[in-house]
Amino acid sequence: MSVASAAYLARRAAQKERVRILYRRALKDTLNWAVHRHLFYPDADALREKFEANRHVDNIETIDRMVAAGEATYNKWRHPDPYIVPWAPGGSKFCRNPPPPQGIEIIYNYGREDNV
Amino acid sequence: MQSLRNSILNYMRVRVSTAERLIADDLSALYRHGQPLRKCSTATSNGHDQVMDRVITLVKKFDKIDAAKVTETADFQKDLSLDSLDRVELVMAFEEEFSVEIPDAEADKLKCCADVAKYVISSADQKI
Repeated sequence: MSVASAAYLARRAAQKERVRILYRRALKDTLNWAVHRHLFYPDADALREKFEANRHVDNIETIDRMVAAGEATYNKWRHPDPYIVPWAPGGSKFCRNPPPPQGIEIIYNYGREDNV
Repeated sequence: MQSLRNSILNYMRVRVSTAERLIADDLSALYRHGQPLRKCSTATSNGHDQVMDRVITLVKKFDKIDAAKVTETADFQKDLSLDSLDRVELVMAFEEEFSVEIPDAEADKLKCCADVAKYVISSADQKI
């Protein structure tokens, strides 16, 4: 019994994690699709409503199916050119100005050391 | 007539030259202060306290949070009674405020304002 309940709890935790990540990605994608900020707010509210509508579903198989359906919808409507923070991987400033490797330095009086 | 013309031209000339000088002053000031300003906007050179202030003001503005309860170490979930989806929205607000990318795994570990400030400062160090 305890093994079964532990397995149940582990599965519920995994589902919560999936829902959290799905909501996070869908919310970011909503901002990607919104051309203006004021268009984003109603879309975000509608997204939250979709998640809140199924808040009290407690059948574990139903939850699995719903999360899979939500992920399929997210993948279908994923933005082709999402906003990426400039310094993050894939951003326009990623690795633009990396620090020089260790042991490399500028010698300002190169070739004129004897004259100094 | 000549004197009128001269006075008008003189007036015009003075006005144009002051405007140019003002623009020049603005530009040089911009160049002089441009570097620190840009750093401030991305929280690169800010101290820990300034980042913490920005985090706390942002958390207080979040409409589902009672602003009186917000402290540096108040847990978002337990003390401020946010659910997991509210925390996702809050983390997205932090990402936009500090223009950092918080990965999915890290977002779950940010439990209070102090964690967020620590993460923002550590990510600002890596930003080049």
